[in-house]
Amino acid sequence: MTCLLVQPGAAGLDLTLPPELDWSHLQDLLQQYFQLSEAWWLPQAPVRVVCGARILDGEHWQWLSGLLQKQKLIITTVQTEARATAVAAAMAGYSVEQGIMPPPTASATLPALYLDQAVRAGVEIRHPGTVVLVGDVNPGGCLVADGDILVWGRLRGVAHAGAQGDSRRLIMALEMAATQLRIGELVARTPPSTAFYPEVACVQGDAIVLYPARDFGRTTPGGVF
Amino acid sequence: MGRIIVITSGKGGVGKTTTTANLGMALTRMGRTVALMDADFGLRNLDLLLGLENRVVYTALEVLAGDCRLEQALVRDKRQPGLALLPAAQNRNKDAITPEQMQQLAELLTEKFDYVLIDCPAGIESGFKNAIAPAQEALLVTTPEIAAVRDADRVVGLLEAHGIRKIALIVNRIRPQMVQANNMMSVADVQEILAIPLAGLVPDDERVIISTNRGEPLVLESNLSLPGIAFSNIARRLEGEKVPLLDLDAPYNTLIGRLRRFFNR
Repeated sequence: MTCLLVQPGAAGLDLTLPPELDWSHLQDLLQQYFQLSEAWWLPQAPVRVVCGARILDGEHWQWLSGLLQKQKLIITTVQTEARATAVAAAMAGYSVEQGIMPPPTASATLPALYLDQAVRAGVEIRHPGTVVLVGDVNPGGCLVADGDILVWGRLRGVAHAGAQGDSRRLIMALEMAATQLRIGELVARTPPSTAFYPEVACVQGDAIVLYPARDFGRTTPGGVF
Repeated sequence: MGRIIVITSGKGGVGKTTTTANLGMALTRMGRTVALMDADFGLRNLDLLLGLENRVVYTALEVLAGDCRLEQALVRDKRQPGLALLPAAQNRNKDAITPEQMQQLAELLTEKFDYVLIDCPAGIESGFKNAIAPAQEALLVTTPEIAAVRDADRVVGLLEAHGIRKIALIVNRIRPQMVQANNMMSVADVQEILAIPLAGLVPDDERVIISTNRGEPLVLESNLSLPGIAFSNIARRLEGEKVPLLDLDAPYNTLIGRLRRFFNR
């Protein structure tokens, strides 16, 4: 699984650069991430950039700090396994932590990620908590959350709630026309339908089931709401 | 300072270059000066569609290398003196130029022209990034096909990530008859997914193919064909005029047609 991009860290935020992406792909992803997500962090929050084994030179750091500055974020610390990256980061004036990348911590109690723009084809949003989207997920778009997913709009792409394996998570949408729904380890397709109303997807037994939103509180024992 | 508009699509073969050529011509006919920039290095076509191939001497690369002045590389159209083409190099590939250099060229052009239209190559790789780097606005061309719309949706996301917020949609190659019979995505279907304002609709027409082969853009004809009208309407909308959309359904919206659709439902 791709590492999470931005999450609360020991002091401020941790920005993890997924190791499997090349730099230009990563640039796109970061730009898209900051374009789509509303600032849930405090202004001037210190950022620790977790680079793993990635080699980043002075030019890379210049681009990254410029991008983060626009979001009112300041790079303070760099975590890296590569010597070249450590040198370049120190030259740029960041404090450097060398050593193996700590595994990303994730829990559903993290702050929810609020998005207020359509998630278009080719965009993949990952968040260690719950994701709330005001807008559509278009075909080819993807939302992955360790918590719940709420879509105040049409869900036509892929949604994965409880991505760390938690099958108690829910996916809610005003119009459930997803290419695929995933909760925990389960996968389902939405039935072809022409009439759309708000629906909730949850796991019962070993299958994902859909309920009309207005019945959901009544039909599920104990009502999750 | 002129407006810099990139014409892009994601998918290939949906009509970016045709649109660029026709919009450029239509805008100059309205009294504007227009520079067309071909950003498709290595696969340039814009000069062909304009019928200017045999007049290309220098390209954007020679300008950047300082081998010639910008004025020398610009090919002026004899039919429309307000129109100039800055050709791409044919013997190189997309990496022959950087986004910064594209920006530099486009800025030079905006000093002299009211519009700078950039013809973007297909794909979302370096050629695309070069083409959108200088742009302030974008015209997104798509056809009513699921693959073209999907790619266009991806491109909208990328344009927005690069800070281009003013994006308008051109739905090209519509076949009203097929839409009526429910065999083709309608404009409403396309717009529902892309959710960006519509700049215009262009019907599918064989005259478009003829005009591209001849190197004479449709909007040059004295007696405008339907696609010719569609392109000049888009140009007028770019100028801020309120022009109603073409009613492409009109020829098929007869009583018999409606009855047939009603019973086929």
